[in-house]
Amino acid sequence: MNINATLLAQAVVMIVFVAICWKYVYPQILATMQEREQRISDGLEAAKKADDSLEEAKLAFEKELSQAKTEAAEILEKANARASQIVADATTKANTEAEKIMASAFANIENETNKAKEDLRQQMSDIIIDTTQKILGDEISKEKHEAILKKAAEEL
Amino acid sequence: MAKELTTESYIDHHLTNLTCGHVGMNEEAGIYKSFWTCDPYMVDKMGFWAFHVDSLFWSVFLGGIFLFLFKRGMSKNKGSDVAPKGLQNFVEMCIEFVEDNVQSLFGSVKNTLIAPLALTVFVWILLMNLMDLVPVDFLPVLAGHIAYAVAGDSVSWITGPESFYFKVVPTTDPNITLGMAFAVFVLTIYYSITVKGPKAFIAELTLHPFGKWLIPVNFVLEMVNFIAKPISLGLRLFGNLYAGEMIFILIALMLFFSSVPIGVLGFGLHLVWALFHILIVALQAFIFMALTIAYLAMAHETEEH
Repeated sequence: MNINATLLAQAVVMIVFVAICWKYVYPQILATMQEREQRISDGLEAAKKADDSLEEAKLAFEKELSQAKTEAAEILEKANARASQIVADATTKANTEAEKIMASAFANIENETNKAKEDLRQQMSDIIIDTTQKILGDEISKEKHEAILKKAAEEL
Repeated sequence: MAKELTTESYIDHHLTNLTCGHVGMNEEAGIYKSFWTCDPYMVDKMGFWAFHVDSLFWSVFLGGIFLFLFKRGMSKNKGSDVAPKGLQNFVEMCIEFVEDNVQSLFGSVKNTLIAPLALTVFVWILLMNLMDLVPVDFLPVLAGHIAYAVAGDSVSWITGPESFYFKVVPTTDPNITLGMAFAVFVLTIYYSITVKGPKAFIAELTLHPFGKWLIPVNFVLEMVNFIAKPISLGLRLFGNLYAGEMIFILIALMLFFSSVPIGVLGFGLHLVWALFHILIVALQAFIFMALTIAYLAMAHETEEH
């Protein structure tokens, strides 16, 4: 086994190579790997955040949907109640109107009847007066006429 | 003149490094001036200051490939949201593997050097070990022919392609593995002193296991333990890869130097061993990395004396 200065030369060469690797090669490789690891880690975190956001959005959506459904049900219930109320009011109003119309109609009928009766009485009175005048051959004054009518009304 | 190809020369050729070094003046040996050479016959005269040029070449080349691939692999799709694939995927797998190991062995202690060190050690050793799977003759023979064609006329010791040695697996050279272990050892001492403090570091080497009354004995025992760590770290890697390479060479010998049936058997064995060796290649790279992290973690541990 021939040991010579190659041993020292190799030791020096090794120290030089280690120094080059330590200074210029290893840190760059490690930095590249760590940078990519960081990017992957950031990506995963972002994906997780997006997942969480999606979950939150889903929950919010479901909550909103549920609230909307409740509100819709309430609105529907109110609308139904209101509709019933409107129908009831309309019915009441229609009944009242009908009653009013009926009352008015009855009043009109009564008025017409009274008017017809009055006309009839007037006509009868005139006929009676004419007839009486023709029979008596005398004119009946207004005062007499009134007195006769009054008497006839009382008798009637 | 070309050396005759024998079993011994074949093995010798594959296990010999291209060594360059300085040969000093030695009148007794007939050397009258000092000079630099890569002549394999002058290796024993070079002394300590010789360099295994082939091992260092492959080591630096593969280290450069490691840095280039990892730098390019990540810069291509930087800042992109596209899922990583191909080279980037491989780079990220390696980084995650290393980070997991550093986390499990090093715990919560913050030291930005440990992970890059572990990554460099793991991928670099893996690439160096993988050179063992290149067919044993391919690159040495190619390098021999190129060297002979380029410098055969001008360089006296290149007498033929086989005279040019070119070992391609750096981790089968103990200088390479021990060199890396030595660098880890230096870092261990540095962190032991800076994290624990010089006093605690010396106390750790002198007050265990028998307390303050047997400091010399403690020191000897602890030093053996302390020095054994980098040596075992380097020799473990070297031994495993050297043995693997040796088996590849022996199987290759079956292909070229035996009869046809044995050659066919050798081809099958070569495939089986290559498959098994993939496991060893990765395992040894992992063990070196894990022990490096463990030793540095121990250097960061503080305990009361």
